[in-house]
Amino acid sequence: MELFFMTLTTGILVGGIYALVALGWVLIYKCSGVLNLAMGELTLIGAYVSLSFYSMGVPFILALAISLVIGFVLGVLTERIFLDKLIGEPVLTVIMVTVGLSFFFKGCIELIWGTDTQVFEPSVFPLEPIRIGPLVIGQVYLWSFVAAIILLIVFVSFFKYTRWGLAMQATADDEMAALSIGVSARFVYAAAWAIAFMAAGVGGTLLGNINGLNISVGYLGLLVLPAVVLGGLNSVPGAIVGGVIIGILQNFCGAYLDRFFPGGVKEIAPFVFMAVFLLFKPYGLWGWERIERV
Amino acid sequence: MSTTWLPCSVYHQNYAQDHAWWQTNFIKGKMLVLFLVLFVGIPLYADSYWLSVCNSVGYTVLGALGVQLLIGFCGQVTLGHAAFLAVGAYTSTLMILEFPWPQFLLDWGLAYPISILVAALVSGVWCVIFGLPSAKVKGFYLILTTMAAQFITVDFLITQYISQIGGRGQAFSLPPGTIKFGPWVIDNDLKVYYLMIVLVTLSCVVMINLLRSRVGRAWVAIRDNDISAEVMGINVVKYKLLAFFVAGFIGGVAGAFWISNLAAISPEHFPWFWSLWLVGVILIGGVGSIHGTVFGSIFMVVVMEVLQLLIMYLMDMGFAWAEPLFMDFLFVKEAAFGLAICAFMIFEPNGLAYRWWQIKNYFNLWPFSY
Repeated sequence: MELFFMTLTTGILVGGIYALVALGWVLIYKCSGVLNLAMGELTLIGAYVSLSFYSMGVPFILALAISLVIGFVLGVLTERIFLDKLIGEPVLTVIMVTVGLSFFFKGCIELIWGTDTQVFEPSVFPLEPIRIGPLVIGQVYLWSFVAAIILLIVFVSFFKYTRWGLAMQATADDEMAALSIGVSARFVYAAAWAIAFMAAGVGGTLLGNINGLNISVGYLGLLVLPAVVLGGLNSVPGAIVGGVIIGILQNFCGAYLDRFFPGGVKEIAPFVFMAVFLLFKPYGLWGWERIERV
Repeated sequence: MSTTWLPCSVYHQNYAQDHAWWQTNFIKGKMLVLFLVLFVGIPLYADSYWLSVCNSVGYTVLGALGVQLLIGFCGQVTLGHAAFLAVGAYTSTLMILEFPWPQFLLDWGLAYPISILVAALVSGVWCVIFGLPSAKVKGFYLILTTMAAQFITVDFLITQYISQIGGRGQAFSLPPGTIKFGPWVIDNDLKVYYLMIVLVTLSCVVMINLLRSRVGRAWVAIRDNDISAEVMGINVVKYKLLAFFVAGFIGGVAGAFWISNLAAISPEHFPWFWSLWLVGVILIGGVGSIHGTVFGSIFMVVVMEVLQLLIMYLMDMGFAWAEPLFMDFLFVKEAAFGLAICAFMIFEPNGLAYRWWQIKNYFNLWPFSY
């Protein structure tokens, strides 16, 4: 039973980080309709930037802030250079451009930072675990979760209460109407990409803190896809719930199924789950059902 | 319905002419030259390096044909095709290594050909299994399920379980002399080249013929609008699954062929990168065109080779910064591939096949283009 609760807590805590990255994904999709397959590389970029600054002796919070700034700049640049020209193109075209971007970023990351695992040295969060009753929780997980939740709240309230956020919501709802009341759609797209880069960067930094940072952390970034499919592609609460559920599911599979299927069951489980889930509920928990007419 | 441009004073008089593959003398001559170059010219004059480049082009064509069929002709986007190549390669390897072949089959050199066929069938069936969700979902959701196919097949099943068969460790090495095609032992680049060119020609012929038949028209109808296709009486699910089967079949042939070029296969030969690479090839070549598949393969392979030669040249010139680029050429390749896809999607979404078509049209009417 202890194992059960341990797995559950770890799952929820890691799921918080996935939720943060998934939020960035959903924002892009909602605002500009781009299905972004480069999310894994976005997490890597932010993570490596903050790691580099942290290794140079910059305090962790500052390093994180710098990676946010760089993420913002890169996000705006990416949107302006690559995706701005593709508004109104077929879905496959846009998806493949994000795939191309992901390769471009990945190649650059590997060239700049190499493929060896790097760790945050000295470790950011204290190593000794916290005990809550019978539960033993690594501080890394706990603080990462707290940071992810704080940022989630910041992003969601930005989306809900600020002028820019409202403009983004309006564009997501109806682009034409938003344009007619003076919202700049190009600004909104750029902002969505910037936020996605920032969210993914923070998520990547936190994930990198847990197990060290290498290219395979980008694979964890891909886990947002099962998460958003689960929650529904265009639902912000869905992304958060989906992220947490995928975190829990992954850890349960790691804990309970690993002895029956040794090896990579933990990495595969979310995708298997997603494939089966799609058969029964293709629009996720809270996604909009699209009605097709000929 | 003649899709070929006919010069003045050439008219078709019966349906056989109208449906012929090569309708004018010029096209016949052109194809003859092409075949001469492919079957005689390249083997005679190319050295081992360029032969191996040709072999990778051929492998890419074989792999990309299935992707082209799914994406370009049936509209079912797949991002996991390397999984089916892997299934083909592993089936063939395991059959050669583990199957108790009767001696006479080994003597006649039929083990490898039979294993190619079986590998293609297994791979086709495997592809149909992962195509099943296409009955229910499409577009982005289908992309996700095909991605799942890649991760489940290569990263999980093959890496964790199939590789354990026989206790050989992660990589299966094929002893020299086991890959025998009839009387010929496939042991150098030239023989691989001949095997490749025959397989590529056969697959292209099969694909083109399929596409001009009822099946191909059904696929194109599904691609253009699956609801209308259903209204017109096409069994959408059946034809979608058939497309997946044929794509997997050709993928299996590609995988089984490629083991003749590799001394050993391991799961790293079929990464997710390779699936996306195949999709990139058809996007660069042109979606919905067999020409495009070939052009895209040639373009991607040759561009990468040229890039490598360029970096080597820069290194010889004494540029210190070129050296790490050469050491990590794989990463340069990834970045260049990514940029190439982005550039083509933004500036030339119709691909190289469209350019080719434009050039042909221009010369058909030349010099009086109005």
